[in-house]
Amino acid sequence: MLKKDDESLSEQFKKLDELVNWFEQDDFDIEEALQKFEESSEIANLIKTKLSTLENKITVLKKSFDS
Amino acid sequence: METNPLQVSEAIALINQTLEYAYPTIVVEGEVSSFKVNQNKFVFFDLKDDEGTLGCFMMVFSLRVPIENGMRVRVVAQPKITNWGKFSLTVREVHPVGEGNLKRSFDLLLAKLDKESLFAADRKRVLPAMPTRIGVISSTQSAGYADFIKILNQRWGGVEIIVAHVVVQGTDAPKQIIRALEHLNQLPDSPDVIALIRGGGSLDDLSAFNDEPLVRAVASSRIPIISGIGHEVDTSLVDLAADVRAATPSNAAQLIVPNRQEFINQLNRSVLRIGDQYSRRIDYLLNRLQADQDRMLSHIYANFERLKEKLSLRQALIRQLNPRLALSRGYSLLRGSNGMLIDTANVGDSVTIETKTSTILAGVTHVEKRR
Repeated sequence: MLKKDDESLSEQFKKLDELVNWFEQDDFDIEEALQKFEESSEIANLIKTKLSTLENKITVLKKSFDS
Repeated sequence: METNPLQVSEAIALINQTLEYAYPTIVVEGEVSSFKVNQNKFVFFDLKDDEGTLGCFMMVFSLRVPIENGMRVRVVAQPKITNWGKFSLTVREVHPVGEGNLKRSFDLLLAKLDKESLFAADRKRVLPAMPTRIGVISSTQSAGYADFIKILNQRWGGVEIIVAHVVVQGTDAPKQIIRALEHLNQLPDSPDVIALIRGGGSLDDLSAFNDEPLVRAVASSRIPIISGIGHEVDTSLVDLAADVRAATPSNAAQLIVPNRQEFINQLNRSVLRIGDQYSRRIDYLLNRLQADQDRMLSHIYANFERLKEKLSLRQALIRQLNPRLALSRGYSLLRGSNGMLIDTANVGDSVTIETKTSTILAGVTHVEKRR
């Protein structure tokens, strides 16, 4: 579960990166831009919420490493 | 006693039994001499002081730090008589004694492993930027461990942390850490990175981290290793063998996960940037639209002006040519009987004279042509 969450976190980061790059073009279409702008806002908020609320899960191994 | 004599081997066995009972372990300190290693397996040396010498024997894998002749060492050993009647100490552990010797031993091992390129920069792997599973080898009771976990939790979330509790000091430490390393490396869902953490302290004993088998285990770990051994003054060989060396446990936490606050700031910057670009594009298109509009209007305007001018000219021309104008200026129009304009007539013809005010029917009485 945790791993899948984080995989999609990286994917979301990537998607946002792609959107930023799209807006760096000289001549993008204005109609498409509106939709992508909204999308980027959404993704950013999703990531921010996830980052702020996800906690680490600590497991101390029961195995003893004594001789 | 003379009636029941022992065989030689029995005597040896008996004496060894007694020794084992009385002295299962003794710790002896002395100077090393006649050091040699046979067949890369068997280590022999003498331990001596001003008045006595004891032979020592050990297996090479028990020799965890280099020693050499002239070095003062402490051995943990069991006294025995060999089958050849030689009294010897079977050594389980040997430790250099005194700072000079410790340093000497350290230097020897450093040189040896360096020569094998164990510390080479191109062997070092880059840590994963966003690990999902982190292995930690540390003493869970140490302050260093607590610091590491605290900073980790502050910085980042969503990570699974697997902790192997070991001792980080003392003679058992290297073996425990090696076992922990092997265990983590072999887990089916193994960590993306392993942090080796030891609580801060300057005068504490770092010797566990200069243990040869441990250094080799760190160098050969399949999973990248970051060392956060937190020694203020010295660098250990494990530090050199690790993929990344952190100055302290807290520093290790900083190097191993990103900082979510930085990410959030970066996200905000990205969204702002997108907004700026979007807005810029709109401005650009508006400007272009305005320019096009202006151009079109001025084109239309120019056309209309041209048209107006043309019409005015026509009008002027028409006015000029319009007979009515001539009439208003006092001239008359002379027409023949067919109504057409004539410029001459015959005597007796009927002509029509049109003036500004009247139409006169007249008869021609006299004609004089001009040349």
